Amino acid sequence: MKIPLIGVSQSIERIRELIKHVANTGLNVVISGESGVGKEVVAQNLYLNSSRRGKPFVKVNCAALPEGLLESELFGYERGAFTGAERKKRGKFELAHEGVLFLDEIGDMSLPLQAKLLHVLQSGEFAPLGSEKEIKTDTWVIAATNQELEQHIKNGKFREDLYYRLNIIKIYIPPLRNRPEDIPSLLDYYIESYNSQFDTNQLAKPSNRIMEKLMAYHWPGNVRELQNLLRRMMVVGDWEEIVEELSITANPQRSSVPVKPTIESSSIVADILKLQGENSTGSASFSLKKIKKKTLDRVEKEVISYILDQTGWNRSKAAKILKISYKTLLYKITDLNIIHPMNSHDKAD
Amino acid sequence: MGKSNKLLIIDDNEEVLTSLYEYLSQKKYQVISASNGLDGLKLLDAEKGEFDLIITDLVMPNISGVGVISIVKKKYPTIPVIAITGWGEHPEALATEANADIVLEKPFELSELDKLIAGLLSTPKSKI
Repeated sequence: MKIPLIGVSQSIERIRELIKHVANTGLNVVISGESGVGKEVVAQNLYLNSSRRGKPFVKVNCAALPEGLLESELFGYERGAFTGAERKKRGKFELAHEGVLFLDEIGDMSLPLQAKLLHVLQSGEFAPLGSEKEIKTDTWVIAATNQELEQHIKNGKFREDLYYRLNIIKIYIPPLRNRPEDIPSLLDYYIESYNSQFDTNQLAKPSNRIMEKLMAYHWPGNVRELQNLLRRMMVVGDWEEIVEELSITANPQRSSVPVKPTIESSSIVADILKLQGENSTGSASFSLKKIKKKTLDRVEKEVISYILDQTGWNRSKAAKILKISYKTLLYKITDLNIIHPMNSHDKAD
Repeated sequence: MGKSNKLLIIDDNEEVLTSLYEYLSQKKYQVISASNGLDGLKLLDAEKGEFDLIITDLVMPNISGVGVISIVKKKYPTIPVIAITGWGEHPEALATEANADIVLEKPFELSELDKLIAGLLSTPKSKI
């Protein structure tokens, strides 16, 4: 299950460098990025580069289980802890002792469980359900998310203290469409890997012309989509046909790619009134004050997005142009939910 | 005091970094700066930890200030670290837990920082 981190882009190079620097520190890590970018691959590379290699690597998907089950998965339970608990079950924290616990989709963890996780991270101890005795654990927690945890904090869905405790190391993996130069090496790697796995239907490398098309495609499903495409290619056997399918599915989705913000907003009144929806003029909650606030927010959002776009998201420059403080700008970006067009978290790159 | 003390400052906010750089250079310190934790640690390793003091922001891309402090305190335990932060209580508490020598809340007076630096530099390196 050893999967190397494939890619030649600057962001992947940077992630490799980061992995080398932090793999042996045991500091909590949050890996973020869209679905299918390879967050688990990065987690495994952290583990394989650390002195915990050879010890357990335990994965838990926090979104896959309902709250109660996730709790017993993580912390385990004693016999008789609840109806049906016929025998003692060891939790993942115990199983991952001296190794790595990879918590995928951490953004979906419920608040009560977040509190329990925070307790383990602070004390290095946890109590299985139905037990009063705390068990010591030396587990390296690597979390992953495809969500904006900062937004979850604002909405009260994620604990701020847990956020900071987990985010000691942040690794952001950009979507594949932002690093097309990685596509050839990813294709090479997976073609070779599938060809050595399956004797029949050997995959041919795409021609330069096909490669160009593949590199121009926006890969909404990222590396996972690329793998699926190759599996499909094993069945279809014709790159032309595969690329043809891509261009058909690509077009309607193109509109979901963030468009460049523009300053024009011709009929803002009509839009705002439409935005109100349930607050239509007849409704009790309709008020000029609310509309004023919404309009102001919207205009502010457009202006700030426009300036950020113009400055290439240089926040210091944007703050100067807008004549607001840097801190205010950061606050507005979060408050108005202004999203970087590249969805970038890593301000350094 | 013959040679000037060498400081490493790490902050992802360009403005803060520039103003700290200018102010401390003026104060006759030899100042080297980095805009994130990873670059800061790389500089530190490249110089084999030959710094007299580190000033780091806490919330930054890749390796956070708390990460920097934890790594520095393990690898180069004699280098004093000042954490500067404008992100409230949680990062501050974590910086203290990671053994930052001083945690300074933004905004602060540059002269105050200067005093703290002088204080730490004059303390004999016998800790830990």
